[in-house]
Amino acid sequence: MRYSPTLLDHFLNPRNAGLMREPDGTGVDEFEGCGDLARFFLRVREGRVSEARFQTYGCGPTIAAASAASEKVVGRPVEELLNLKPQEVEEAVDGLPDDRKHAADVVAGALRAAALDALRRRGGEA
Amino acid sequence: MSHRVYLDHNASTPVHPEVVAEMLPYFDERFGNPSSVHGFGREAREGLDTARERIARFLGTRPEEIVFTSGGTESDNLGVKGLAWAKGSGHLIASRVEHHAVLRACQWLETQGFEVTYVAVDGHGAVDPDDVRRAIRPDTLAISIMHANSEVGTIQPVRAIGAIARERNIPFHVDAVQTFGKVAFDVSACGIDMLSFSGHKIYGPKGVAGFWVRKGTRLQSLQHGGDHERRRRAGTENVAGIVGFGKAVELRSRELKAEGERLTALRDRLWEGVRARVPDVRLNGHPTERLPGTANFSYRGVESESIVLGLDLKGIGVSAGSACTAGSVEPSYVLVAMGLPIDWAMGAVRSSLGRSTTAEDIDYVIESVEPIVRKLRAAMPVGA
Repeated sequence: MRYSPTLLDHFLNPRNAGLMREPDGTGVDEFEGCGDLARFFLRVREGRVSEARFQTYGCGPTIAAASAASEKVVGRPVEELLNLKPQEVEEAVDGLPDDRKHAADVVAGALRAAALDALRRRGGEA
Repeated sequence: MSHRVYLDHNASTPVHPEVVAEMLPYFDERFGNPSSVHGFGREAREGLDTARERIARFLGTRPEEIVFTSGGTESDNLGVKGLAWAKGSGHLIASRVEHHAVLRACQWLETQGFEVTYVAVDGHGAVDPDDVRRAIRPDTLAISIMHANSEVGTIQPVRAIGAIARERNIPFHVDAVQTFGKVAFDVSACGIDMLSFSGHKIYGPKGVAGFWVRKGTRLQSLQHGGDHERRRRAGTENVAGIVGFGKAVELRSRELKAEGERLTALRDRLWEGVRARVPDVRLNGHPTERLPGTANFSYRGVESESIVLGLDLKGIGVSAGSACTAGSVEPSYVLVAMGLPIDWAMGAVRSSLGRSTTAEDIDYVIESVEPIVRKLRAAMPVGA
């Protein structure tokens, strides 16, 4: 099997899949090559992510990467997510084959965009 | 994993045990070169002759009109390029849903100065014979239309197209790789001049295929060398493979009708079961004029590779209508030619049934696919 057990587990049982009511930040990224898309919703409490949910359209690894990342970002400062690297997402699913690296790119991109949106909104409110 | 179900018979099939048994002596006892005049050579030659006769009998043609090749791709290339090169210049007609072996051979011929018209298909994937008629030009040198499409299984009206080709005296090549040994038809009555067919789709070995060419058809061979295959295909024959191919054809001829009916019933059971449980699903291909074991469904808004992966984890082998490689994905050109909207085309999954498929297998697939599609849809923004 070309995918790790962790990846397959997230693919079969995605955590935090679906919409979020009144999120504090949302972000989307799309991988143009194949149309893979990830959308993240963040709930932020005292500057940290308290909940992350996602929707995604794409191949199995993209779904798994989004699910794993949605768990990984909880508890972290929102500012930190502005620099979230695809490698970190890839590590969360114990690696991706070369032809599926874009799964990590699109998930990291959507999370960075969601973090930026959350910070902008907070700035607007202040 | 307890239950394993192989539903990818249009890709390849397991070699029938009787085929293996018939092949084995040709690896050691009857290993000679069939072109050699001595006894060792004659033993190998007998194996070739028997296979050729079996296939000719099955097709209702003459044994000397059968050429053995290395695969369906070579046969298709021989048909398309062989006719083009024999003529030197001119125009060809093919459909938009041909196998890549025909399509890319035609595209390459275009770079060499030939012209090609690719006729459209309707929403079921079928060619309209009148479109073929309208595409004919004074310099049309060949018509190449597949008998059935491997992805959706739609069977083309080759008899009607053959009649047009005959009327205009244009050689007609049919890629019958997906129908040979599965659907009964009479090549002579269909106005066909060349037929490509393969062994490993019908429980024979890989690396061996056939090409039937009507006597008198002008054809340029693709490779040059010895006088094998009546100088139409140079190279020492794959004797064991050809012997196995002949046996596979003989076995298919015995069970073709009953197996066709059995698979048609199972194929329809799969569709009815999936349709009853999964919303937003459609059948791709012709509802009735379709290969007995081919069932191609589109799950709207779901990405097909995710379904293939989900089913793979349940021990089920099916194939995706679109494939994402290195970050670029193209929906199936066949489904696009049929006019399927992109959100349907991206969610196409093909199941192709075969000898080993049982009703229990089909029910297991129906039970398995519903929760997979439901979960994928829950995570997907399309339509949410």
